[in-house]
Amino acid sequence: MRVKTRLPEFLFPVETDSWLTVLRLGLGLQVTLYALSLRTDWTYLFSGTARKVAEALLSLQGHFIPSLGWFVALAARLGVPEETVLLLAWLGLFVSGCALLIGVGCRFSAIAAWFLHLCAAKSGGFLSYGMDNFMTIGLFYLMLSPLPDRASLDWRLRDLRPKNPELLGFWHRVLQLHLCIIYFFSGLTKCLGSGWWDGSNVWRALIRPPFNVIDPEALVRWKDFLPLAGILVCLLESGYPFFIWSSRTRKIWLFGICAMHLLIGVAMGMYLFSLVMIVLNVAAFGPGLIRPEHARISMQPQGAVS
Amino acid sequence: MLRVVAEGPTILPLSFKNFSRKAQELISIAPAEQLSPSNPLRESMNTYAQLAGIESGYGYFAPNVPSGYTLVFELHYRDGRVEYEVPSVRSAAAELRMAGLLDNIGRTPYDELREILLKTLVQSIWRKHPELQSVRAILGSLILPSVREFEQGKRESYEFLYAYDFSLQDPPPKTNPH
Repeated sequence: MRVKTRLPEFLFPVETDSWLTVLRLGLGLQVTLYALSLRTDWTYLFSGTARKVAEALLSLQGHFIPSLGWFVALAARLGVPEETVLLLAWLGLFVSGCALLIGVGCRFSAIAAWFLHLCAAKSGGFLSYGMDNFMTIGLFYLMLSPLPDRASLDWRLRDLRPKNPELLGFWHRVLQLHLCIIYFFSGLTKCLGSGWWDGSNVWRALIRPPFNVIDPEALVRWKDFLPLAGILVCLLESGYPFFIWSSRTRKIWLFGICAMHLLIGVAMGMYLFSLVMIVLNVAAFGPGLIRPEHARISMQPQGAVS
Repeated sequence: MLRVVAEGPTILPLSFKNFSRKAQELISIAPAEQLSPSNPLRESMNTYAQLAGIESGYGYFAPNVPSGYTLVFELHYRDGRVEYEVPSVRSAAAELRMAGLLDNIGRTPYDELREILLKTLVQSIWRKHPELQSVRAILGSLILPSVREFEQGKRESYEFLYAYDFSLQDPPPKTNPH
């Protein structure tokens, strides 16, 4: 009986939309920077045989997984060349990122950003890495969450309100639980490798091209700290689901995880990977940490949303 | 988790490795895994996982940091000259992706797939140098020194893995001068 009442309370808590604001702003910035970072290589990476091979393999997984090939095939019938389609896809991604950042057409922008990024990630299957997965995860939750949030221009200027504000807490909880699963398994599998305990994996990660931002000559002077860094990574990740929920340890753990990602970004040149991880973490567990939240959303669902 | 332990090496005793292999085999005969790829239920589950970004595990750099791969093109010109070039992209963000592509090329157990992927990279080299006669793509595995080895003067080295020869009889048009 207790579980029956406590589970819905846990899964559907009353929440403000602060976390959604963080997620929208963060992912808006992420999508914009993602598009800008690949601006010069976009056509090269996503055109030609490599894309076709990735899409052919993808079709074995399912026929309804979006890819850039859908647009290319459709445009070919209209006589539009592949390069133009790819350019339009890039532009769409960039504009949707900017729109998310300022909060205009939030719902549509979130769906467009998720869809276009997913198309690029799946078409460039052999070129994708962890960052793409986390962007897909974040954008997936963003587009399903009750948008717009109070900080968006949709709310302030267009007076739009979310249809199902009662789902704010649910999607926030899903994001929190998902992060716990991610870190727990990531940490646990690292703990199984001997290289994380003696620091050799930290060394290898930092000197392996193209992550070798720091000169190994400088790094070797800090060799005594490498085992400590390795153990800290294991501890932070595998301990995440146990220490992030308690108000006493949440601040330490969130700060530790964000610092870890910041260091990964700086020391390995994985800026976008770090950004998306920090955004997801701060959105999931950041709001209310420094300043307790009082204002709860209490409004009636409205028909008009973006 | 089971894959990580089964493929190892990990700090767990060998018996765990054997257990994980057996457990993996057991899971592979589970009803859902036995469904054909075109089965609507399996396809729906696969599609949902891809749309939500949950199709892969979360063991990044786990249990250990793998070695990378490197690719060198040996360019053979019609006049007999031989030059060497490595795959290049313009941005740092694309460089990370290129490293991922080389990892995929190096790790795939399928020769045909490896050859197709190398061919796509050769095509871009070809567009850049239309006067080429043939290209040899040489794939090597990167060997990283340990801290102690580095202190003793050892630096990263490469171990030869594969070489593929592509003769260029039908040059593609010079449309994408990347």
